[in-house]
Amino acid sequence: MRTSQYKAWGLLAPTLVILFFIGLVPFLYVIYLSLFKYNIWSVRGMVFAGVDNFRKLMFDSSFMHSLGIGLTFVVITCSIETLLGLVIAIFLTNEFVGKGVFRTILTLPLAIAPITIGSIWVLMTNPDIGPLPYILHKFGIDYNIGVNAKQAFFTVVFMDIWHWTPFVTLTLLAGLTSFPKEPFEAAKVDGANKWQTLRYITLPLLTPVILTMLFIRVMDTFRIFDEVWMLTGGGPGTATRFVSIDVVRRVLVSTDYGYGSSMSVFLLYLTIVMCWLLLNIISITRKEVHER
Amino acid sequence: MRKVGIYLLVGVFFIVVFAGITQAATPEWWKQAAALYKGITIRGVSESTPPSKAVRDYAAREFEKLTGIKVQFELTSWDEMYTKSINDMSRGTGIYDFVYVEQDIIYAYLVKHWLTDLTELAKKYPQLDDPDFDINDFTTFINYFKDARGHVFGIPFEAFLKSYVYRKDLFSNPEIRAAFKSEYGWDLRPPKDWREYTQIAKFFTEWGKKKGIELYGHVAQAKTHPCVAYEMVESIWPAWGIYNWGINLKKWRATVENGGTLNSKRAKEALRWYVDMLKYAPPGVRTYTWDETAAVVGAGKIAQGLIYLENLPWVELDKSRSVVTGKIGVALPPTYPGVMSEAARGLGYIGYYDGGAFAIPRSSRKKQAAWLFIQWATRKQWAPKFAQLAGRICRKSTFNSPEIKELNVKLSGYYDMMKKFGFLFAGAPPLPMHRPLNELYLKWISKAVAGEVDPDTALDSLAKEVDKLLIDLGY
Repeated sequence: MRTSQYKAWGLLAPTLVILFFIGLVPFLYVIYLSLFKYNIWSVRGMVFAGVDNFRKLMFDSSFMHSLGIGLTFVVITCSIETLLGLVIAIFLTNEFVGKGVFRTILTLPLAIAPITIGSIWVLMTNPDIGPLPYILHKFGIDYNIGVNAKQAFFTVVFMDIWHWTPFVTLTLLAGLTSFPKEPFEAAKVDGANKWQTLRYITLPLLTPVILTMLFIRVMDTFRIFDEVWMLTGGGPGTATRFVSIDVVRRVLVSTDYGYGSSMSVFLLYLTIVMCWLLLNIISITRKEVHER
Repeated sequence: MRKVGIYLLVGVFFIVVFAGITQAATPEWWKQAAALYKGITIRGVSESTPPSKAVRDYAAREFEKLTGIKVQFELTSWDEMYTKSINDMSRGTGIYDFVYVEQDIIYAYLVKHWLTDLTELAKKYPQLDDPDFDINDFTTFINYFKDARGHVFGIPFEAFLKSYVYRKDLFSNPEIRAAFKSEYGWDLRPPKDWREYTQIAKFFTEWGKKKGIELYGHVAQAKTHPCVAYEMVESIWPAWGIYNWGINLKKWRATVENGGTLNSKRAKEALRWYVDMLKYAPPGVRTYTWDETAAVVGAGKIAQGLIYLENLPWVELDKSRSVVTGKIGVALPPTYPGVMSEAARGLGYIGYYDGGAFAIPRSSRKKQAAWLFIQWATRKQWAPKFAQLAGRICRKSTFNSPEIKELNVKLSGYYDMMKKFGFLFAGAPPLPMHRPLNELYLKWISKAVAGEVDPDTALDSLAKEVDKLLIDLGY
């Protein structure tokens, strides 16, 4: 017994060593840095600040603004992506002509790197040469994401939905196709219509999948960076300065390593709390589904 | 005795001839100097600009063939270049053996002691000093790369002005001239002050609308990007008489209450003007960085504006990229009344003298080979060709070369202007905390540009935050 335990630890050891250096050490270093006032251009060098960076963070209107628009972005995009993805996934469970082509076109945005997505949208929304401002102008809409903060924000929302709805669709479709046939056959025998089947069988069975997908999407959208960096750079003004952009500008541009680290630690804490909540909900719903 | 005399004469003759050979930087000299380093690879990083591309594609390739030293010269975006080089130098990893140092960041690098003292290096390895290098041939721009003792830490390889350009063809069009005069009562010409500039901008934007052509009287780099901050601090505010980013360099404070000028009446007036003028620029101006600003001039959509004149050669000469070749005029930027005379007396400056140098990080492990390469890339013999390729001049002798004299005519006398009036322009002030400062300026200026806050509030908040940052950094 003991020999097999040693063997197991021996086999795990290389992975643990790597994880220690690439996971734990940087994490501990970030926590360590967050306790200091440390900007490389400071003539004072590193000065121990305790939790002062975190106290400052709570009163930083700029950071709170970034956090606010970030959370708004998460709520809007995740809700729309889930609803839209669900509708498309259910639609794809039916057989129709051109289904394969439709599915291929649908998943194309997933194959494109986020930075390229940003570049594509830069060209599409450019007020001088972009097709979007041109078309919208024909309908009397003055579309300029360099000027209008709301338009910039909702363009980013739309871009994210366009990019990631296929992922949601594929995930939910995988869930839908893996269900046992019996509950559906029983519902048919009982005379349930399509809506009742969806409401009382499909959705309850799909809930754990939806929550798992949401778990991934919430984390991803909260950390959105590349596309926005390319498209708006956080502007106009600070209209799309999401938390990731704020952290990058603080750490890499302002070289405020101490304060930037405290921002990162706080965001990690926030993500962990959100995930913990979601995980709890997932396990509760799983239990309920199994009990039924 | 006579024989001894003959031997002596012959000896002296050979010494003189030999010395002559070794003193000239012939291909043989380069081969010999680099012999010890043959086969090694040196790495450099720079911004992807025409001069850097010229260095990578021409200078580096010739150097490799001649010396056997391999040069890996990485060209990337401006911000990525800084991130990479600062990370390398601050941690002492020694990835890069030579880096591009833009004039405005040199003070930060010197304070951190990240760069190799090239004066000392040259003294230590005299066998590696190109005999034709002639450090005194560099324009005064090299002074930006010296420390207080006069030791050189970077060798300039590019220098240019940011100044005013206008469409000569439009400014000389009789119909336009008559229409302009009837509206404003003065003959159309490059503006002397901002009031005249505004009138010209308004006139051409309205002219474009009236004629149904895409023509605008103004252009700016107004994207939420560091460029918008640079435009204000380098070009707009100096020409309005607000120098050194509005910071009092003796007191290290920016607010008016603490001796600065960043939230002064004049600075606010200039920012209000800057934001207001965007209505005369193309609709996409708030998505423009320095690249798009030049591109839109090359596309023939702009009648006048301030651009980095590194772009002038392609806008004026490259028919594959520009539709206004031969139609661009160059002049000094307009200024606020009194600013030009202040600049002439050395009490201020009217715009930005931009450029950069090659430097060797202290963390480099191949300093000698890098020093050879830097000398090669900035050597006198290649400077005219380089100026032709990249439009930059940093050596006095280059101004007098036949190639540049010919090019000067094609570029509407830009090099003459640079030679004669270069002293009116200045590089960035000595602000070692340049990057975090720029970040603050970017935040508040872009808020004003986007209309999130009014310009006056933006500058009051900015000045306060600058004071706070300077205090936090120990100034």
